[in-house]
Amino acid sequence: MSLLRVSALAKSFGARRLFAIDELTLLAGASYVLTGENGSGKTTLLRIMAGLETPDGGVGHYRSRRFDWQPYPDWLRREVIYVHQQPYLFHTSIAQNIAYGLCARRIDRRRRESLVAGAIAWARLEHLLATPPQKLSGGERQRVALARAWVLAPAVLLLDEPTASLDAESRRQTIELLRGFGSARTTTVIACHDRDVIELPDVRRLDLAGGQIVV
Amino acid sequence: MALVDASEAALRLLFSGDPELWGIVAVSLSVSLRAMLLAMPIGIGIGYLLATVDFPGRRMLIVVTQGLLASPTVVVGLILYLLLSRQGVFGQLQLLFTQTAMVIGQVLIALPVLIAFSLAAIQSADPRARETAIALGAADARIAWTLLVEVRFALMAAVCSAFGRVVSEIGCSLMVGGNIAGVTRNIPTAIALETSKGEFAQGIALGIVLLLVALGINSAFAFFQGESRR
Ligand SMILES: Nc1ncnc2c1ncn2[C@@H]1O[C@H](COP(=O)(O)OP(=O)(O)OP(=O)(O)O)[C@@H](O)[C@H]1O
Ligand SMILES: [Mg+2]
Repeated sequence: MSLLRVSALAKSFGARRLFAIDELTLLAGASYVLTGENGSGKTTLLRIMAGLETPDGGVGHYRSRRFDWQPYPDWLRREVIYVHQQPYLFHTSIAQNIAYGLCARRIDRRRRESLVAGAIAWARLEHLLATPPQKLSGGERQRVALARAWVLAPAVLLLDEPTASLDAESRRQTIELLRGFGSARTTTVIACHDRDVIELPDVRRLDLAGGQIVV
Repeated sequence: MALVDASEAALRLLFSGDPELWGIVAVSLSVSLRAMLLAMPIGIGIGYLLATVDFPGRRMLIVVTQGLLASPTVVVGLILYLLLSRQGVFGQLQLLFTQTAMVIGQVLIALPVLIAFSLAAIQSADPRARETAIALGAADARIAWTLLVEVRFALMAAVCSAFGRVVSEIGCSLMVGGNIAGVTRNIPTAIALETSKGEFAQGIALGIVLLLVALGINSAFAFFQGESRR
């Protein structure tokens, strides 16, 4: 079943046309990798789908509901979560970072605490809880950011190169977590160049080339 | 030797808990703290709006704020005096020569500092902070609060800087306060006016207190600025 469909999605920066995608359909519960050369527009595409950037034109459908990109609908924000290539952690604590989206959704405290505890266990962060987020390594930050997204059980999860610029061990741990996402009710799109991610089982490939999505 | 005697007398005043001296200190601190409590939400709020919302006149407002940063406090006092005097627009309120007038004056002096510094603090925040809050589903009020918390140390530095300016300013306090003993006489007006009448010891004692306050504020400022750069 089609979960998110974008049609006639175009984006230019100045005179430069980055892409004009006729049609891109994400199926419910499927996992995708988004590949493409450097500068092909992978990050930009994910940011548009997350409502952090506006396209020049196009329409979207979420399930059977039609929406415009500008303004990006608030109800869609609740369904779509984007994680930066280099995630930003708030200068609070790891637990508060993970709880952030739950607070925004006004989940009551007891339920929130149990969900956060679950996410901490899922991302194996227990031993780091006392560490200030700014002091974490790149791989640990990535895991906190993934836990912060995972805990919301989003319908659509957009990850921008989650394994880039990580050392071998952090990469392995992150890929391990990405596998876990696939089994959930979440449709995942991972922009990446990483062979090990591309070759994960049950992952469909989307290639952004020449301003078009090639399936 | 008059200076030595006066200094001795100043120390005696300081340590004997002289009620007049500490009354003056209390007026200064009370007026400046109240002014800061009022100015902080307004100044930081305007700074946030200037940093995040594009509205017509925004550039102008920023330029004006930056211009007002260096406004002589005596001119602020003069304008406020004209507004509050009996013939002034707000003459009915009978606020001239009251602590309230001094508080208003200090709010006006603190605002440009707070606005300009918090604008700079929020603009220099990592753009991903805002995007992350949005992407995780925060509504506008939560986004604003999150950003302010992220730059909290830079904001505290702004508050210290503004407090340092108002607690030591004399021009406005003199114009709209009037240096009335026990009511509107604060540290700067007392030093300036009472010393000229021969009250050297009190002037020196108050000077020491003001120096200590300034030292405390500046240490706090340096600390917060250091923290905000980490
Ligand atoms: N705000 C912007 N203004 C101007 N040009 C931009 C802007 N954002 C992105 N670009 C340009 O658009 C192109 C695509 O950028 P994007 O980051 O989406 O590529 P990418 O596929 O994610 O690349 P990479 O593999 O290096 O991450 C780049 O050439 C970039 O310079
Ligand atoms: Mg990219």
